[in-house]
Amino acid sequence: MTKLFASAAYRIAFTYSAGFALAIVLLGAIVYVAADADFRRQQDAAIAEESAALVADFRDEGLGDLTETIAAREVSSATNGFGYALFDRAGRRIAGALDTTRPLTGFRNIIFNDPVEGPDPARAFATDLPGGYRLVVARDPEELERIDSTILALFSGALVLVVLVGAAGALMLGGYLRKRLGRISGTAQAIVTGDLDRRMPISAREDEFDQLALALNAMLDRIAQLLENLRQVSSDVAHDLRTPLARMRSGLEEALDGPRDLAAYRTGLKRAIARSDELLKLFAAILRIAEVEGGALKRTFARVDVTELVADLCDSYAPPVADGGRSIDCEVEPGLALNGDRELLAQALINLLDNAQTHTPPGTHIVVMAEANADWIRLSVADDGPGVATDDRELITRRFARLDSSRGTPGHGLGLNLVVAVARAHGGDVAIDSNEPGLRVTLVLPRLAE
Amino acid sequence: MRILIAEDDAETAGFVERGLTELGHVVSRVGAGEDALHVGTTETFDLVVLDRMLPGLDGVEILKRWRAAGVTTPVLMLTALGGIADRVSGLDAGADDYLVKPFAFAELAARLAALGRRPPISDVVTRIEVGDVTLDVLKREVRRGGHEVHLQPREFALLEVLMRHAGKVVTRTMFLEQVWGFHFDPQTNIVESHLSRLRSKLNRGFDHDPIETLRGIGYRMRPHD
Repeated sequence: MTKLFASAAYRIAFTYSAGFALAIVLLGAIVYVAADADFRRQQDAAIAEESAALVADFRDEGLGDLTETIAAREVSSATNGFGYALFDRAGRRIAGALDTTRPLTGFRNIIFNDPVEGPDPARAFATDLPGGYRLVVARDPEELERIDSTILALFSGALVLVVLVGAAGALMLGGYLRKRLGRISGTAQAIVTGDLDRRMPISAREDEFDQLALALNAMLDRIAQLLENLRQVSSDVAHDLRTPLARMRSGLEEALDGPRDLAAYRTGLKRAIARSDELLKLFAAILRIAEVEGGALKRTFARVDVTELVADLCDSYAPPVADGGRSIDCEVEPGLALNGDRELLAQALINLLDNAQTHTPPGTHIVVMAEANADWIRLSVADDGPGVATDDRELITRRFARLDSSRGTPGHGLGLNLVVAVARAHGGDVAIDSNEPGLRVTLVLPRLAE
Repeated sequence: MRILIAEDDAETAGFVERGLTELGHVVSRVGAGEDALHVGTTETFDLVVLDRMLPGLDGVEILKRWRAAGVTTPVLMLTALGGIADRVSGLDAGADDYLVKPFAFAELAARLAALGRRPPISDVVTRIEVGDVTLDVLKREVRRGGHEVHLQPREFALLEVLMRHAGKVVTRTMFLEQVWGFHFDPQTNIVESHLSRLRSKLNRGFDHDPIETLRGIGYRMRPHD
């Protein structure tokens, strides 16, 4: 029983049928009490009427006639259940067959001596007549009791029926709910224990359970997708962290096993620090991308003067680009502004400028352009270097994507990924196409109206 | 200088303490948030290195309470949180500088030196003189030995930062923050390129280079001995 009540399904079903049973009990009680009161009132009225007729008879015709009338009525009243008694001043019964002592006047519940059944309760009305006589008209409430017991029997039957049907219904409903919920929790258990591809069963009924199952399945699909992304990223991270970590470790080992020479030790340590710095940069890039993709930075977006920003970056990059044996030109339209984060936009453009230098040979010409139509600003960094094959262009925006041709160059493969994340955080996107020859990467960003 | 280190990680705190003691500073160390709050308000320090995530009371909260209590000691906030929003909230709470862990000790030392005994009027100084080099902020004019040196805006800004920190080390990231407003490290070394141009312009016709390069640490400008 405790186990049954531990189940919400059974509890609900049982509570529901118990409520029904209670309603039947209440209804029965009300009907019983109301009907009983009404019948008693009717009985009293009939007794009073009978008594009034006899009193009128006494007034009109006198004592002798009353005695005769009582005798006559007693014969006929065998069917309608009245009993009569007339007492004189001394309390002796001088007429009527109702065997009882003289009651007080008014309505009384009396006990009379039934010639067949012995002492029996009755409802009586006693009236004093002139001359010290007292007339008693009584009625055996047998009929009333019969009606009462009929009502009681009917409602008891109904109650038993309701309780039985209710209990059976509750068991069935509870069992059904348990079965439907059991399938869902069984599937959830299976997923918990590792069967991640399992989905909630869906019946053809399209009821609430099926809707729940559909919602859960949609959630499971979304989680599976996120897990797959996470798995992809973590395996990439593991791979891309392991390589520099392994290099750092072997470098340290080499220094330790090498000549016992202070200068050699120092070189080894310095190299290890440089490699750990690379790793930290990689972490910073991963975290920065996560921060940008998280979207919380949008709250701090403000007006950014793109014209000024791009011109600034060109000025800052011209000397290092020239130092690397490349050249740079900037074509910037005046009056461009957008709603965003200046530093993020700068970092995105810097990543593109860094790429345009690391992945091209000396002598490459880099062109930075900022142009716009009414709604969109296009910021592009183009070079006339070796470019990227059409098939690889989609690939290079992915996390840790490094083409085989660039394995030897510095970088962690997250640069373009951040550019894409920044563009999307600003409500724009990135286009990668051929500069014929070379590569052009364009950030398309929503323009801020002046 | 008297420096308070509020840092719960014993290794980091020890690393910073040893380094600063070697530089001749007097260092006090606390590990818990409540202690930091108490010591910071009852004792006087020249500088505070405050970890953002202390057990008990976090660094931002401590700093807010210090500032509310009228403690104006320069505070450098140390943190493992490198996000843009984290930096903004740290600076908003009243931090004077913000350094993300892990960091090179030289970086921390340079930043602390820049914070310590910062002349309160430094921002209104419009003419700075270091050795034979003078820089006029308002006229955007640089002279060495009386001769005008023509500089690009970035070169001028680099020199201004160096001269405001005369005698102290300015690291690459400090340049990136103060000249470019970048809190990340571009792959391309823009600082070095601009600095080498600044140098060649400044030193044209002179034997002595007033800008000293400290390898792996940064740059320092010193008057000619």
